[in-house]
Amino acid sequence: MLTSFIKRGAVAAVALAGLTTAAFAQMELKIMAPAAPGGGWDGTARSMQQALTAAGIAKSVQVTNVTGAGGTIGLAQLIGAKGDGHQLMVNGFVMVGAILLNKSPVNLTQVTPIARLTAEALVIVVPTDSPVKNAKDLADRVKADPAKVTWAGGSAGGADHILAALFTEAAGGDAKKINYIPFSGGGEALAAMLGGRVTAGISGYGEFEGQIKAGKLRVIGVSASKRLANAPDAPTLKEGGVNVELLNWRSVVAPPGLSDAQKTELSGAVEKLVKSKEWIEILKARGWDDAYLGTAEFDAFLKTETVRVEKVMKDVGLVK
Amino acid sequence: METLLSLANGFSVALEPSKLLFCLIGVFLGTAVGVLPGIGPALTVALLLPVTFKLDPAGSLIMFAGIYYGGMYGGSTTAILLNAPGESASLATALEGSKMAKAGRGGPALATAAIGSFVAGLIATIGLAFLAPWLVELAVKFGPWDYFALMIVAFVTVSATFGDSPLRGLTSLFLGMTLGLVGIDKLTGQARLTFGVPELLNGVEVTTLAVGLFAVGEALYVASKRWREPEEIIPIKGSLWMNKQDWKRSWAPWLRGTAFGFPIGALPAGGAEVPTFLSYSTEKKLCKYPEEFGKGAIEGVAGPEAANNASAAGTLVPLLTLGLPTSATAAIMLAGFQQYGLNPGPLLFAEKPDLVWGLIASLFIANVMLVILNLPLIGLWVRLLAIPQPWLYAGILVFATMGTLAVNPSPVELGMLFGFGYLGYLMRRYDYPVAPMVVGLILGPMAEAQLRRALQISLGDPMILLENPISATLLGIAFIALVAPFVMSGLNKFKASDD
Amino acid sequence: MSRTIDRPALVVGFLLLAVAAIIAFDASRQTITSNYGVGPTAMPYVVCTGMVLLGLAHLFVAFRDGLPKPEAADGRALLWVGGGLVGLIACIALGGGFIVATAILFSCTARGFGRDALPTDIAIGLVLGTAIYLLFLKLLTLSLPTGPLEALLS
Repeated sequence: MLTSFIKRGAVAAVALAGLTTAAFAQMELKIMAPAAPGGGWDGTARSMQQALTAAGIAKSVQVTNVTGAGGTIGLAQLIGAKGDGHQLMVNGFVMVGAILLNKSPVNLTQVTPIARLTAEALVIVVPTDSPVKNAKDLADRVKADPAKVTWAGGSAGGADHILAALFTEAAGGDAKKINYIPFSGGGEALAAMLGGRVTAGISGYGEFEGQIKAGKLRVIGVSASKRLANAPDAPTLKEGGVNVELLNWRSVVAPPGLSDAQKTELSGAVEKLVKSKEWIEILKARGWDDAYLGTAEFDAFLKTETVRVEKVMKDVGLVK
Repeated sequence: METLLSLANGFSVALEPSKLLFCLIGVFLGTAVGVLPGIGPALTVALLLPVTFKLDPAGSLIMFAGIYYGGMYGGSTTAILLNAPGESASLATALEGSKMAKAGRGGPALATAAIGSFVAGLIATIGLAFLAPWLVELAVKFGPWDYFALMIVAFVTVSATFGDSPLRGLTSLFLGMTLGLVGIDKLTGQARLTFGVPELLNGVEVTTLAVGLFAVGEALYVASKRWREPEEIIPIKGSLWMNKQDWKRSWAPWLRGTAFGFPIGALPAGGAEVPTFLSYSTEKKLCKYPEEFGKGAIEGVAGPEAANNASAAGTLVPLLTLGLPTSATAAIMLAGFQQYGLNPGPLLFAEKPDLVWGLIASLFIANVMLVILNLPLIGLWVRLLAIPQPWLYAGILVFATMGTLAVNPSPVELGMLFGFGYLGYLMRRYDYPVAPMVVGLILGPMAEAQLRRALQISLGDPMILLENPISATLLGIAFIALVAPFVMSGLNKFKASDD
Repeated sequence: MSRTIDRPALVVGFLLLAVAAIIAFDASRQTITSNYGVGPTAMPYVVCTGMVLLGLAHLFVAFRDGLPKPEAADGRALLWVGGGLVGLIACIALGGGFIVATAILFSCTARGFGRDALPTDIAIGLVLGTAIYLLFLKLLTLSLPTGPLEALLS
């Protein structure tokens, strides 16, 4: 069995050889994806690995996976790696909510923010044959009776849920009463919408794009500050009179207790990464939008975002 | 007719010698990685996706199809040979398959799995090519109440795995449902039964339970009675290949398995587990030799394996026609398609016919490759069982823990693996069936989530379950299946064992 | 019919009742409920009820036939195999790395199954562990738990 494994390994090694071209840089990095291999954060970590080595920014990059509890187990481990200047962790908007929801003993104020990398705007849609025509219609309904407006989206406390709550509040409805139905994965939520089971659905724009273009779903609004480049026809929620903005972002953070030199080194490497043509190619292939924020800006952004999410989760009754 | 032309066009792309080679490599890699327990098809595809990056779209797509089917098949190999189902959909295969392997019938078991996968894959891929747009219309009509009713049907049929005591079978099932409660509640984000242990927030991993109960539990059990009645593993008894009788007993389960797998796989929340359970219990009911079930009945391998593979092809229906990724594997495939500039969705067939039909043709070819590659390997696989018993079981345990070590090497997770292993040992000792426990863990949370979604939509009115034709019909089927044979014979058995 | 009490059935019965109690206790402490439909405590109470019934049924059975009588087990073999698994967990928890952990598990299991050649089996385990470690790292870019031996390899 072993020999057959090795033979197969050799085949794969040939196929992989193109990916691991030797680079001249000296930095040896470890990137932790606080989720199982195959998920979104893992994809970001492995894409970083690919681009960092291919562009010669780092000599070697090792991706590790620490699964569990919306990433908070990985977060605890990162905080434990105090002072390690070669360790990064991928995280994102979802972790802010998970920390509160899971009553995690550790939080994001304990790490060193490095940079925001990508962001995706969410979109609120309704089935095409729905009587709800625009953001104002939906806002009126939510205000009149939040129970009758069923929302389909991703996991409880995730970005989709937060947006539903923000929308309800902005429309003047009672966020405590929202009828939000979490589905596992965008696929199931989309099916519930196409089948006309729910009033409105929320997901990343990319996930609904095909259905929107095919005319099966109508855009009520995107949660960005301005219209998306790839969807110039889709209005923003703000245009529709509902003052809500929310981005599902992904970022990298480092352990606490880093010296200024270590911080500069890591920030510099990530800055080089986002400018490399390898990274830009990956973004394009994966359909991710660049939303780079340098260390200082990201630090400030993270603070305001945490405050906002905390308030919404209390309003909705997810956290007491 | 148009469909046939497009398909022929797809084949002309996929049949170039270099493409065939890519496909072969893909099937090879997929099988090799897929056999590792705990590394299911989703992870296999995710890990090997970068390998396909460097090829042109058509080449990478065909390699990708090979990896996908290879990964699916790899899981059943370990289920049969080592009794270590690497993913939840291989659970039903392990039940009979591992018994066959121990009795020297590993060859026919692997063969019926391979050919069954092939037949199912072939029929389901044809279904994908011709029925997809029609089937998907039907699939999105399924609401949460309908899924709940489907889960109830699956629950009722689980009694097929109970063995001879309904009391012990139900106990096992409810233990599984208890484990299903552990972790974050999907609908409110609340932690249940986690006792403040953060590692438990994600719930109990099905593969951890299955590998613990099946592989580790069995190793402990066999070790414990080694002196009294040393277990004899016969690598090969009779023909390595399927005999006439095997063929006769396999073909109908293949077809029935496909009939369960493809449509349920096409449902956005159908999954691969439910059809394999349904297939297993159907085969047990219809089999002419029901007494062989639990001791290595070939129908119990042929049916669920076909259902598993057909559901994999079924998953592609909503994926290609709607852009709906309905399983973890499908979500990763979606990412894969996007690499090649394919944006699955309603416009895909119109916008990129070459690539879509190329993909479908690739699936056909990958399917054929899989059989060509794996049938000769069966002899090699089966010889694994000729390894001296101490090394064989030592190897099985190393293999069984490897998946957990690679994916989630926390002491808590490893402790659970061992704890479930010990539980599996005790359950075997006192003749409790272990399969219902895994079934409870899989179906319990699914049924709960769907019921609560249904009631959320109806604002708490339970009549919604009976007002909808599909759910009402399914609940009716479940009720009849429960009341007619099971309760009667179950009560009789219950009385008989008490008196 | 014998009038003796079947102890295993009695123990299982009480254990099931204990599990039911834990489920009920946990459910009773839930503070957040769903706005519509049934909340996160409905299913726990259903499972809890089932557990109570099954526990009582076991107690009933304990005074009748009881559970099937198992044969005597070979405690030493169990200890070796179980010890190998505990050794693996301890090794991983203490940072001993995958290769050593695999060698412990492999050799102890082989010993439990009656082989009397611990040094040879440890050697086989080390080689097997190294091969698997390298395959995972190079082919799958998945890193298995690392320790001193793994550090030497990279």
